[in-house]
Amino acid sequence: MDELIQHLYPLLKSVTGYIYPNEIELHWGLLVSLYPYLTGLVAGAFILASLVKVFNVKELQPTYRLSMLTALAFLIVAPLPLLLHLGHPEKSYEIFLTPNTNSAMAMFGFVYAWYLMAVLLLELWFDYRKDMVIIAKSSRGLKKWFYKILSLFSKDISDKSVAFDHKAVRIITIIGIPSAFLLHGYVGFIFGSIKANPWWSSVLMPIVFLFSAIVSGIAMVLLLYMVITPIRKQQLDMICLDKLASYLFYIMIVDFSLEVLDFIHRVYESEESIKILASMVQTKLFGSLVIIQVIMGMILPLATIAGVKIFKVPADLRKLLYFMSAILVQIGIFSTRWNVVVGGQLFSKSFMGLTTYKMTFFGLEGLLISITLLIMPFFILWILMKILPPGGSETQEAAIQVPSP
Amino acid sequence: MPNWIPNLPEQVRRLALLVVVVVIAFLIVRPMLIPAGFGEQGHFRSGALNDAVAHDYKYAGKASCEECHDDMTSMLASGYHNNLSCEVCHGPLAGHVEEPEEVQPEFPRGRNFCPVCHEYLSARPTGFPQIVSQSHNQLKACINCHEPHDPVPSEVPEKCSACHGKIARSKAVSHHANVECDFCHSVNEGHKTSPREFRAAKPIDRNFCGQCHADSENGSDAPQIDLSSHEPRYVCWQCHYPHLPEAK
Ligand code: HEC
Ligand code: HEC
Ligand code: HEC
Ligand code: HEC
Ligand code: HEC
Ligand code: HEC
Ligand code: HEC
Ligand code: HEC
Repeated sequence: MDELIQHLYPLLKSVTGYIYPNEIELHWGLLVSLYPYLTGLVAGAFILASLVKVFNVKELQPTYRLSMLTALAFLIVAPLPLLLHLGHPEKSYEIFLTPNTNSAMAMFGFVYAWYLMAVLLLELWFDYRKDMVIIAKSSRGLKKWFYKILSLFSKDISDKSVAFDHKAVRIITIIGIPSAFLLHGYVGFIFGSIKANPWWSSVLMPIVFLFSAIVSGIAMVLLLYMVITPIRKQQLDMICLDKLASYLFYIMIVDFSLEVLDFIHRVYESEESIKILASMVQTKLFGSLVIIQVIMGMILPLATIAGVKIFKVPADLRKLLYFMSAILVQIGIFSTRWNVVVGGQLFSKSFMGLTTYKMTFFGLEGLLISITLLIMPFFILWILMKILPPGGSETQEAAIQVPSP
Repeated sequence: MPNWIPNLPEQVRRLALLVVVVVIAFLIVRPMLIPAGFGEQGHFRSGALNDAVAHDYKYAGKASCEECHDDMTSMLASGYHNNLSCEVCHGPLAGHVEEPEEVQPEFPRGRNFCPVCHEYLSARPTGFPQIVSQSHNQLKACINCHEPHDPVPSEVPEKCSACHGKIARSKAVSHHANVECDFCHSVNEGHKTSPREFRAAKPIDRNFCGQCHADSENGSDAPQIDLSSHEPRYVCWQCHYPHLPEAK
């Protein structure tokens, strides 16, 4: 009981105005904000990859496999925050056994499974099949078997068969784009469809989520590309980098306009909630929304990239500026998620008061777990890149002789 | 085998086989994994109800304390805290009722406990006793001055604002700042010690406000209206909050 009092007492003091008794404690905290952030990165990275395959953006070819692996690494971690947030994570698989079609949240399992199995894994499999077969042939022992199983014992790497792989990848990407939209649009939908909450309830929500997802995905791949390429002792492809930055810039403009549209719409509509939302933005969310999300995460990187485009900036400085902008964008998008999830619970449904969120460090919902979850995808990506080297079978140390076809 | 199957690319056949195996495995395993009793009473496991029933009791309830602590229960029953359960302060005590010596209750003696209910918060109903703990007799434990089982203010508060802080604060800055509370509410002194036994009176009709506001030669500097034409079908406080009349 002492713990409870220690917890409630300071909270009470930061409540302002009138709130209902059950509103003092926020139920969705850091972990739940992490979840849309992670799925956003997945969808964004995938859409970047599809630019290469479907829209034939040749300049981005060096990042294709990296984006796919990034999407997979983040997708594996994406449901973990939700599972940890649940009271009984060990029962979660039951949503697949006894689907409840009336619950949007329960259907997430299927959206996720579809995306993982039918889109990401399948596309990666076709894309890497030739490499896997070659590695399996040229290595021995456990490794040979590992790759044999991964490639499903497939052997055929004739031109015809490889051409089929390419076609398959293209088709899957075409299916994958709406799927990626679905995956992240879905997350926006979950919030946007909550009628009782004026901060969330907006038909624009899925679209805003989607575009911010693409922004964060591109920025993440840009960061990873800039970090990983030197580690792999390769040269950064400046044309590719410029292209990435351009796409980042354009999508950010769309994202920003959508957010401004949403803002204007709310202000003009001026529903009865507008006063409390305005005061929330001016007080409790000022730092995370106005400063971090809008100024640092949006305007500053937009201005930077615009500057790079207008003035002739030397390559080294350009790299630095891109890198900084991408980091700012990541921080900005994370606080976007935070502002949606936490912001939606900070004001009272009476529209007369504000409560507060107290973050803990330890415990399932604490900062430590969240940081761990944020680091995990990078670790998984590292393993994935060992197994499925983006450079193809040539870069696998063991693959000494590549049999010429 | 139909003859189109061998014509499929090799990798597609392998994948198809994998999919078939996974689907069949899922269909075989699914009935085994669905929890027993699922769907009998709805979209849930019917055994969940029994599981919930089988949880240990943590709280015993106020009535069960009476048997051994009747002095305390009767003291509590006669005071302001009569609606409180013992266990809201002493923690869950089902175990204590079974084995009084083994399970010891908690004693929330600290200054941060009582404010969980009594800290000033505009969400609380008016008249609910509230304090601002930072300025209310700091540095001393609450139970030094208030017996937790029969709390009374150790002196009768003089001002209405001791208990109606929010109203007093808004009136103080309103256009009615110079109208005293007891001009509009006649209050028995007893209200300040037992507010529910001695209720304060409230104005009941339009004429009351008319004393100062109605069109007449009353000499008041209050803004004037015509009682018979100014929204005659309602009482004034349906539109004007008397403690902050300028609020629209
Ligand atoms: C079966 C009789 C019994 C019942 C029922 C019972 N108690 Fe007790 N209680 C005792 C005894 C005996 C002690 C003294 C234990 C000791 O000294 O270790 C005690 C001690 C206490 C004390 C601590 C007193 C002190 O001076 O340390 C508190 C507080 C208390 N009980 C509260 C409760 C509450 C609240 C309930 C109802 C939920 C309750 N008890 C029900 C028998 C009972
Ligand atoms: C508002 C909180 C509160 C409630 C409600 C409450 N207690 Fe207590 N109780 C306390 C505190 C605080 C103490 C410690 C007093 C002290 O140390 O002087 C205490 C002390 C006691 C003691 C031991 C000290 C004594 O004065 O003999 C007993 C026995 C006890 N309570 C029983 C009960 C029972 C039985 C009930 C329900 C009928 C109850 N209490 C309800 C807060 C509460
Ligand atoms: C669970 C909530 C709760 C807790 C905890 C609690 N109280 Fe109370 N308190 C009440 C209620 C309810 C009343 C009665 C209010 C009424 O009659 O309108 C009350 C009344 C009072 C009063 C009477 C005020 C008056 O108007 O004369 C005092 C003094 C008081 N409590 C002090 C304390 C102290 C000291 C503690 C800590 C030991 C405490 N309370 C803990 C709920 C609580
Ligand atoms: C030094 C003695 C003393 C201490 C310590 C003390 N109080 Fe009081 N309390 C009083 C007096 C005297 C009053 C009478 C009203 C007034 O003068 O404000 C009072 C009034 C109250 C009231 C009634 C206010 C109202 O609006 O009806 C509550 C509730 C209360 N105290 C709670 C507490 C709590 C909670 C604590 C601990 C954080 C505490 N008191 C500590 C002396 C004390
Ligand atoms: C000891 C605290 C206390 C003091 C001092 C106090 N009141 Fe109250 N008052 C209450 C409580 C508690 C209620 C709520 C009663 C209820 O809602 O059942 C109340 C209710 C009222 C009501 C509403 C009655 C109703 O039927 O709705 C009025 C009017 C009122 N008080 C006026 C006053 C005025 C004027 C003063 C100063 C002269 C005053 N009170 C001083 C505690 C107090
Ligand atoms: C101009 C006359 C006027 C004055 C001055 C006034 N009141 Fe009132 N008060 C009213 C009327 C009229 C109502 C009934 C409102 C209703 O029923 O909606 C009321 C209702 C109340 C109530 C019960 C309803 C509520 O809002 O909680 C309380 C308590 C109360 N007054 C306390 C006070 C106190 C304390 C003061 C002095 C600080 C005060 N009033 C000064 C006219 C007045
Ligand atoms: C004792 C005389 C008095 C009584 C009784 C009184 N008022 Fe007033 N009221 C005033 C005065 C004086 C002002 C103007 C104060 C000023 O302009 O600074 C005023 C101002 C107002 C205003 C205008 C506020 C504004 O927008 O400037 C309204 C509305 C009002 N009172 C409503 C009421 C209602 C409703 C009641 C009955 C519950 C009531 N008054 C009872 C004296 C009174
Ligand atoms: C149906 C709602 C309603 C009712 C009932 C009502 N009023 Fe008004 N009152 C208004 C409105 C609306 C205004 C105009 C406010 C304005 O123009 O700023 C007004 C204006 C006033 C003003 C003039 C304020 C000024 O600044 O000149 C006074 C005084 C006033 N009312 C007193 C009363 C009194 C006394 C009663 C009860 C006899 C009462 N009202 C009943 C709605 C109402």
